[in-house]
This record gives sequence, C-alpha cells and structure tokens, in this order.
Amino acid sequence: MFDLILQATYSGLLSGGSYALIALGLALVFGTMRVINLAHGEFVLLAAYIAYTVESQMDWNPLLALPISVVVVCITAAIVYLLVTRLDKNREMNSLILTFGLGVILTNLVLFIWKADIHSTSVGWFQEAVVLGPLYSMRSELLFFITSVVMVAILWVWLDKSWYGRAVRAVSSNRDAAKLMGINPHVTELISFLIAGILASFSGVALYCASVIQPALGNALTIKAFIITILAGIGSIPGVLIGAVLLGVSEALTITLLSSALQELTGMLLLLFVLLALPNGLFGRAGRRG
Amino acid sequence: MEFAKKLAQTAAILSLAAFASTAVADEFVVGSNLPLTGPQARWGQEVAEGFKLATEAFNRGSAKHKIKLIVTDDEGNPAKASAAAEKMISDGAVALYGGFPTPAVVGAANVATKAGLVYMSSGYGGTKADFKNFFQINAISGYQKAIAGTMLDMGAKSVSLIHNTKEGSAYVATAVAKALTDKGVKVTMHPYDSAIADFKPIINKIKLQDRPELISMVGYESEYIGMLRAAKVLKPEVKAIVCAYGVATPKMMADFPAELQNVYGTTMLSYPAEFATKDGKEFAEAFKKTFNKDPDYLAQFGYVSGQVLFEAIARAANAGTIAKGGIAAEMRKTDRETITGRVTFDETGFNPHFVLRMGQIQGNKIPLIWPKEAATGKMNFPGLPW
Repeated sequence: MFDLILQATYSGLLSGGSYALIALGLALVFGTMRVINLAHGEFVLLAAYIAYTVESQMDWNPLLALPISVVVVCITAAIVYLLVTRLDKNREMNSLILTFGLGVILTNLVLFIWKADIHSTSVGWFQEAVVLGPLYSMRSELLFFITSVVMVAILWVWLDKSWYGRAVRAVSSNRDAAKLMGINPHVTELISFLIAGILASFSGVALYCASVIQPALGNALTIKAFIITILAGIGSIPGVLIGAVLLGVSEALTITLLSSALQELTGMLLLLFVLLALPNGLFGRAGRRG
Repeated sequence: MEFAKKLAQTAAILSLAAFASTAVADEFVVGSNLPLTGPQARWGQEVAEGFKLATEAFNRGSAKHKIKLIVTDDEGNPAKASAAAEKMISDGAVALYGGFPTPAVVGAANVATKAGLVYMSSGYGGTKADFKNFFQINAISGYQKAIAGTMLDMGAKSVSLIHNTKEGSAYVATAVAKALTDKGVKVTMHPYDSAIADFKPIINKIKLQDRPELISMVGYESEYIGMLRAAKVLKPEVKAIVCAYGVATPKMMADFPAELQNVYGTTMLSYPAEFATKDGKEFAEAFKKTFNKDPDYLAQFGYVSGQVLFEAIARAANAGTIAKGGIAAEMRKTDRETITGRVTFDETGFNPHFVLRMGQIQGNKIPLIWPKEAATGKMNFPGLPW
C-alpha cells in the first residue's frame, strides 16, 4: 500500500505541474482584467496542433515548434483581447459568452484543418520511463513539470521586479489609480493576454509531447484551468502551482484509495470546500478597487 | 396563325415535361445525424463515409428510386441529436440513420418513433432498444462475445478490466465481466471518467494489487494510448492486453505503432483488408477510390446500414406503402448476406447473426486471430507492446 500511495502522490505531483502550466495564462488574465478567457484551452490546443504539424510535416522535433506556436497563439490572443475590449457593458459577464463562442470557433477551426483524429508525438524519447527508486514516470511528464515550475518562477519574478509586471499588478489592484500613475491599462491588459499566449504555447507543445491531443480537448483544459484559478485565488501565481499540485495529488490518491470513477468528483469537491472555507481561494486577496 | 403556332409549341413543351416527369426517379430523403465534430468525430466520420458510399452505390444502381441524403452534425450531444432529427423530419426525411454515443441515439430515436419513422443506427450501446422501428446491424453482444471469447481462449484465470464510465463502454465492460466470471475467471473492474489525464495510478493498482494475467481496456482511442503508455512505464507482469473498439484499425496502427504492438482489438477486417466476396472487393475498391484510404470496420457498418435501409425504402416504394409504415415492415423482412455477414432483425431490432472478430497488431499488419474459423493469422501470446 505504501508503494501505491507513494507512486500516486508522485503521479499527482507531475499531473499538478502540467495543470499549473495550462492554468497560468488563464489566471494571469483573470487577475489583470477579471476576464475569464474561456478560449484559453483552445490556445493551448492550437499550440499543440502546431507542434503536431511541425513534427509530421517538417519531420522536426516538436519542441522546435515553440517559436511558431508563440507567434500564432499570441496573434490569436491579441485578436481575442481586441474583441473583448469592444465590450462596453458588463464586460466580466459578456466576456464569458464572447470567449466561449471564440473557443467553439477555434475548436471547429482545429477540426477543419487537422480533422478529428487523435495525435501525439512519435518521438519515443519522450515516452521513455524515468525510474527514481519506486517512482515511475515518462520523461515528457518530468519535462512538463520542470517547465511549469520554471515558468511560474519567471512569471512571479517578472510581476515582482519588472516595470510592466508591476504595471500589471497595479491595474489588477486598482485600475483607476494605475491610470493616475501614468499606466496605460489597455497596453497592460494586452501584455497580459500576450503572456497568456506565450504560456499557452509552452503548455500546448508540452501537452503534445506528453499526452494525446484531439480537437475536443480545449474545453476540458479550460475547465481544469478555471478550477485551479479559483482554487489558487485571484492574483496568486505561486498559488496556481500549489492549487494545481493539490488537485493533481487529490485526484491520484482518489484513484488509488477509492475509485478511478470518482476522480473528477474529487476536483469539484475540493473546489467547493475551498470556496466555502476560503471564498477568495487558497492564496487570493479581496477584489480590486476602481 | 401565330396563335395556333404558339399553342402548338406550348402543347409540345407541356407534353415533353409530362413525359420527363414520368421518367424522373422517385426521390426519398434520408436524414443522418452523426457526431462529425467533438470527441466522437472520428467514429462519426468513418461511419458517415460508409453511409455516403452506400448512397452513391444505390443511386447509381437504381433507375427508379433515388436517395437524397441530408447529414447533420449532432456532436454526439443528445439535445442536438433530437433537434437534428426534428429538423430532418421536417425537411421530408422518410427514415433516419446515425447516432453515437448511446444517449444521442436515444434522443434522435425517440423523435423518429414519435414521427412513426424508422431509425437505424450503428452506435446504440444498449442491449435492448425500447424504440419502435429501431434497427441496428451490429449489436453490443458482438463485442462482448469477441472480447470475452478471446480471453477465454487464452486460458486466463484473472483479468483486470479498465473501462470508461460512459453508457456504451460500461455496458460492454459489464457484459464481458459477466461472461468471464460465469466461466470462473476472477475479474477486477476499474471504471474511469473521460476527464482522466493520467492512468498510472490505475495501472499501478493493477500491477501491485490485482496482479492479473490479462488486462482488458474498454474506452476510446486517446484513452487507450494513455493507458498503454502508463503500462509501458510501469510494466505490469501480464501476458496480453485486450481492447475493445477503435484500436485494431489501420489508422491507429500507423499513428501509434510502438504503443499498439501485440495489442488486441475488436474489428471486422484484417489489415491489409482481405475480402473473399465480390461485394466486399467492390466496396473496398470504391471506398479507396472515393476517400483515398483503406476502409475500416466502422465504414463497413455505415455502408451495410445504408444498403439495407435503401433497399427497404425501394421495396416499400414499389409496394406504395411508404406513408403507411412500409419501410419498417420491409426492414423486418430483411434477410441478406452483406460484407459484415448475414443481416436479419429480431423483434428488438438487432441483428442476431452479428459477431465481431478480434485482430492483433503484429508489425504493420492486423491479422484476425479470433474466432478460429475466421482467423487469418496466429496469436502472438504471450505478447505485449514492451
């Protein structure tokens, strides 16, 4: 039993890492603009399909798709941002409907271009086992986890130390006060969307290397990212990683100790519990002013 | 004089038009709701291609009757399937075909039942259909017979069965488990939700707790790959991995050769496809010409369903009973050999003669290995992807 729990915890930790990278972009945009980008999962999916195209058409390693993915996904993110800014009234609510619709369009675009077949990398190196004593994983899972931790750290440092990072936090905290300090909130929000696009590109390419992709996956990714964002609390970047790991470990332990059929229920119960006990999430602060 | 000339011209045109109208074939609208997008899109598209090919073949071969096909994408969503059925019936459909997964079939078949129309499907995963005028050439029992039959022939004493909790997969898994336990085989079930991302905790439980001789998987394509990759990492000490639908196809074999080596899956066809009959050869040739790829068994289901349905429509039209429920009556009289075997329908609307086969991926081929009388190759047993 000890071996089972140990492996489940390790698997959950790695899954949580991948969830965090997927959720990071959504959490950033939500923190800055109070906009839940329901097309975020489709951004990740788009990057994953670009990795597939680069591998299958050019015979390159899918990791080399990153620059192309970043360009394409950032352009898509900028278009979504421009559409969101056209919403004059009740932006928080109407952006939900808008981004949901854009997600459906993106899913169907993916389906139209790449068809409904499932894909995953054919580079065997990614699927090779890494054995650490009693712990087993694939190389791609470890790579995904390490990438996630590194991206969380970079984003955290950027938000804390750089001028634009502080501008993002200022707009997130009090939009009107930030304007008075000479910060252009539109530029800041656009930057948030572009960074979300970069993060989605990394997670999409990693997802293609570690897992199996199909056009309908975008929606499931968005839901997972949304749960983690709420668990973490608004504005907490390390909270995203901790919330994601908590979710991943809870799911894996549920499968091991209870039943695999209850995995999704665990995530939802965890979300419900956190919302009841800590309405601002695990590491969130109260809503912004202005 | 001028008037008389015009009158003669008009009369000539009218009589020509009248003659032409008698020479034009009767056209019957058939509606098809299938998941062409969404998670079940691969299933829907394969079946749709087979059904489209059957439509073209029927229209080429029939001077008297023509079929006009309306295809609607329901995304496998029950509400959209019902709406699609309503719309196609209002567009004049005399019969409907399609549906997958089971809840989508239920939605559309209920609408067809209310309208008194035939609903034909290849994707209903239940064991009993409660709809009037429902027909299906394949039956869930065919999967159960093939999966359980193969594992019993392997002499298994214990099996861990991992399955999706969706209705169709759960039905198949439960039926397989029952067939095995009835024969004294120890079965441990591991149901999972579609949202699962990592199968290692399940495989590890199987490896450390169950310690079975065989692993069986009933789910969908992306899930099989996730399970097999997890198994490749953890390497449980089993003798074989036996899957249900969607694995033993040329496309899956080409896309995931490393993961699927020696894995078993239900199918109707070996690969390369070997058709013994003239009909089968014609189907394979026409499919390859139209879609530029080899057919798989889902396309066969679509094709045979179309053949049977269109012939019933033609017979009912000849008898003048289309408006009086004649299509359903003609469907019940169906008894013909097809490229999937003999087709008749019992009182529940299923084909009692339907039996699937099992293929095993061996290199770049998929020989049939079960049942013995249909086998085109030998089983690699014990045999695993790693």
